[in-house]
Amino acid sequence: MGLTRRQFLKWAGVTSVGAVVFNGCRVPDHEIQIQSPVELPEDLVTGRDNYYATVAQVGSGSEGLLVRVMEGRAKKVEGNPDYPLNTGKHHIRAEAMLQATYHPDRIKSPMVRIAKGGPFRAIGWPEALERLTKILSNADSASVLLASGPTRGKLADVTKRFATGYGAQMLGFDPIDQAVLRASIKNIYGQNALPDFDIARADFIMSFGADFLGTWIDPTHFMRGYGEFRQGEGRERGHLVHIDSRYSVTAAAADEWKYITPGSEGLLALSMAHTIISEGIGDRAAALALTGGNLNHLSNYAVSKVASQIGMSAEGIQDLARKFAGTRGRALAIGGGSAGAHTNGVFNLTAIYALNYLVGSVNVPGGVIFNPPGSQSRIDGAPLRDWKAALAAMRSGEIKVLLLRDANIVHGLSAELKVTEALDDLETIVSFSSFLDETTSRADLILPGHTPLEEWGTDVPDVGPGYRTVAFQQPVINRFRDTMAFGDVLIQIAGELGNSMPWNSMRDAVRADARDLHATNRGSVTQPTFEEFWKRSLERGGWWDQGDTVSGVPTPPVLPRTPVQAQLAGDSSVFPLHLVPFESHSIGTGQYAHLPWAQAVPDPITTVAWSTWVEVNPKTAEGLKLKQDDVVTLESASGGFISVPVYVNPATPPDVVSVPIGQGHEQFTTYAAGRGSNILDILAQNEDSDTGSLAWAGTRVRMTKTNTRVGLPKLEGIQEPRQLPGEPVIVVFKPGEADHGSH
Amino acid sequence: MATQTKPQSATDRSEAFKWSMVIDLDRCTGCEACVVACQSENNVPINEESAFIEGRAIQWIRVERYWEGEWPDIKARFIPVLCQHCENAPCEPVCPVYATYHNTEGLNVQVYNRCVGTRYCGNNCPYHARSFNYWEPVWPEDLRNQLNPDVTVRSRGVMEKCSMCVQRIRRSTRSKTPNDVPDGSFDPACVQACPTSAMTFGNLNNPDSKVSKLQDDERKYHVFEHLGTAPTVMYLKQVDTHGA
Repeated sequence: MGLTRRQFLKWAGVTSVGAVVFNGCRVPDHEIQIQSPVELPEDLVTGRDNYYATVAQVGSGSEGLLVRVMEGRAKKVEGNPDYPLNTGKHHIRAEAMLQATYHPDRIKSPMVRIAKGGPFRAIGWPEALERLTKILSNADSASVLLASGPTRGKLADVTKRFATGYGAQMLGFDPIDQAVLRASIKNIYGQNALPDFDIARADFIMSFGADFLGTWIDPTHFMRGYGEFRQGEGRERGHLVHIDSRYSVTAAAADEWKYITPGSEGLLALSMAHTIISEGIGDRAAALALTGGNLNHLSNYAVSKVASQIGMSAEGIQDLARKFAGTRGRALAIGGGSAGAHTNGVFNLTAIYALNYLVGSVNVPGGVIFNPPGSQSRIDGAPLRDWKAALAAMRSGEIKVLLLRDANIVHGLSAELKVTEALDDLETIVSFSSFLDETTSRADLILPGHTPLEEWGTDVPDVGPGYRTVAFQQPVINRFRDTMAFGDVLIQIAGELGNSMPWNSMRDAVRADARDLHATNRGSVTQPTFEEFWKRSLERGGWWDQGDTVSGVPTPPVLPRTPVQAQLAGDSSVFPLHLVPFESHSIGTGQYAHLPWAQAVPDPITTVAWSTWVEVNPKTAEGLKLKQDDVVTLESASGGFISVPVYVNPATPPDVVSVPIGQGHEQFTTYAAGRGSNILDILAQNEDSDTGSLAWAGTRVRMTKTNTRVGLPKLEGIQEPRQLPGEPVIVVFKPGEADHGSH
Repeated sequence: MATQTKPQSATDRSEAFKWSMVIDLDRCTGCEACVVACQSENNVPINEESAFIEGRAIQWIRVERYWEGEWPDIKARFIPVLCQHCENAPCEPVCPVYATYHNTEGLNVQVYNRCVGTRYCGNNCPYHARSFNYWEPVWPEDLRNQLNPDVTVRSRGVMEKCSMCVQRIRRSTRSKTPNDVPDGSFDPACVQACPTSAMTFGNLNNPDSKVSKLQDDERKYHVFEHLGTAPTVMYLKQVDTHGA
């Protein structure tokens, strides 16, 4: 049969349509590669990636990291599964740290100021080191102050050796230092190292002011335990009670959140102790020790005397005490943060940590676990008292030269202290920071340092895992800019000044420490030769020895018979609101404000990003005719004030306002400058009576409406939530109820 | 040097893998480690302040916060929300150019070079899991060094959303049988970062995987289950002992 032209066209048409239709029924699976060009054609060659283990100080925490490196560039920061503290997980700050290395505003080379107040000029390292040597040679060493951010491990050791060898004064700087916590732990447990908190194995946790799941000390480590505390296999779900004057992430996670009068946390703890002791439901030996043998020793803290002072009912205190002491498993008390940020900070925290004795939770699983004292140095943030003295010495001319490393005192100390004026009185300021923050921008000479991904070091974690741990920091990439590690600068300059250190570089110094660890022939890495030990330790990210622990339970001290009250700054009739500042979960106290990822991640409670806000209770806002986004001024008795937009927060107590710390930079890169307000500027400069630390939660303020409104940048409200009737987004499970409640 | 391997057939992979995620709301603290890890891994543009104010922030995973009650008896609850990779995905049939479809491994896939930016898929997604690139994403030159070479940078006019880190899936499973891919051998960036281990990822076709075992958990639920979208992402209810 012949094929006509018409038939041919018909068949051709049907075939073409069929081809299109049938091919369209299923998308070729390789289309997925459009999203992810992992499997490239043969003629395209992608880079090979390598993972390097290192460690970084993230806030006060210590995080073992694995960094993905491709073609000489760090691509991704991940947690090191081997490292005992974060076991494969990491904090948002650790992730964001990657952006410090590739930050567009990073200082690219050493710089010198052409004239006082003039512009900077780029110079080479030989000239920079020569200038530094000359400055230090010409100066009276006693008139030199070396100010450093909190530092641990080998770099702290090198820094201290340098200061001692040269004869300079040294101060650590941290806007929210941990001196009160350290003093309290020393008081109550006799320990120099901060202990670990075994959250994973605790059954009942009472935390006082410590936002341990958000910002306190090492949240990643504590969150590792928290996941197990909630839903760990083979255990019952733990119960968390959080006492705080602000509704934090930890408060949100808690089964019970209790608000008490700010500064009265110690009274609550001792009132609970009194109940436990008088009802005989705690450890009797501990009770006798804590009371000096007189079980009526704590009678000043009877619930009837304390309840009205702290804003809780007597029954409420007794109920907490009975639940804490009567829990079937292990109870644990944790204190810190705002509870220690008052003039009676040490009193508060000492009382809180004493509770652990009464329930037998000292140095046992599920309780407080002691850490071996670090064999290496640590530079802690010095108390405000010391910084006031240092500023006075700058003004008097006693201090003439300031060496700075990651110590942004212009932003981190209150404007009331007039830091900039004190800096103007100095002859020379030398900075080793990588960014032009408010303090470094006043320097005469800048020798920019490496970022954590580029340098050698070690870390002995502040809160260790309960056994000796030394993490190794190695450069995972070559330096991206013309920078030099701070430790290497100090080692080199020390030699020039005639105070040579026993090493030629930070790498040598770290290797020397590694040799000591190798010689122990124990711990997580043991190898016959040092070179094998060195290689294996670097691969694993460090060395730790689960057998090197602290044993025994100390004898508790006698608790104070007389209550110590918090002194709040500001007359309540003029300044009716209690100001509770809090550390940002992403930008910290401002040290991470230059990192765009840290800026852009919304605050968990308010969902606000990139900004400062004041959290106000809805009824308080209504009373002041305030609405969301209205700008108000907050004024303290110090005379300082800031302007901030209102976030109406239903969880804020009526007589409290809360403001995040960290913004309000005048400089510190394009991502931080000119953004928000610095709440530290209006805090009263009251100190904890024992340590001299800033009582940062002890200020009263008044709030005044302005005629301005701004749009707060926040995630909340970007899209209309699609709530379906009877179909909640978050469903809750109420144990014992057949028909589970829902939100 | 990259090597070319013979692709497995669609049928092979569909029988081998069905990817799923389980999120335990009782472990989640709302810390947002998942959010930043996702941004880093997937080259999600930096959300400048204006992006939040104008309602244009792009997040492949976000943490939503819901209030319950009034002070002092108040509770904030958190839920990480990402593409639910629905089996009956409302976003798929409305795409006029087949830019979004369901692949053989249970993933809802977005093909960037097909997308013409109608945004029908975004409108039809009940979970608001999709984000549109209203502008060309811009990174300062230095910050481009950190971009993940395994992930395409999307351009202006293109819809984007969670891919469950398909690049990691590809790297870890190409030319492999399920036996060669042990449970937990790799994770999407969000799961990997989550400090409380609230997120679990795995292969539902592997009966021994954690995600398979969690299907029987009494706290299991899907968000908006009655819509019939059959999400592959599953949640475990938050335990509330209040008043218990």
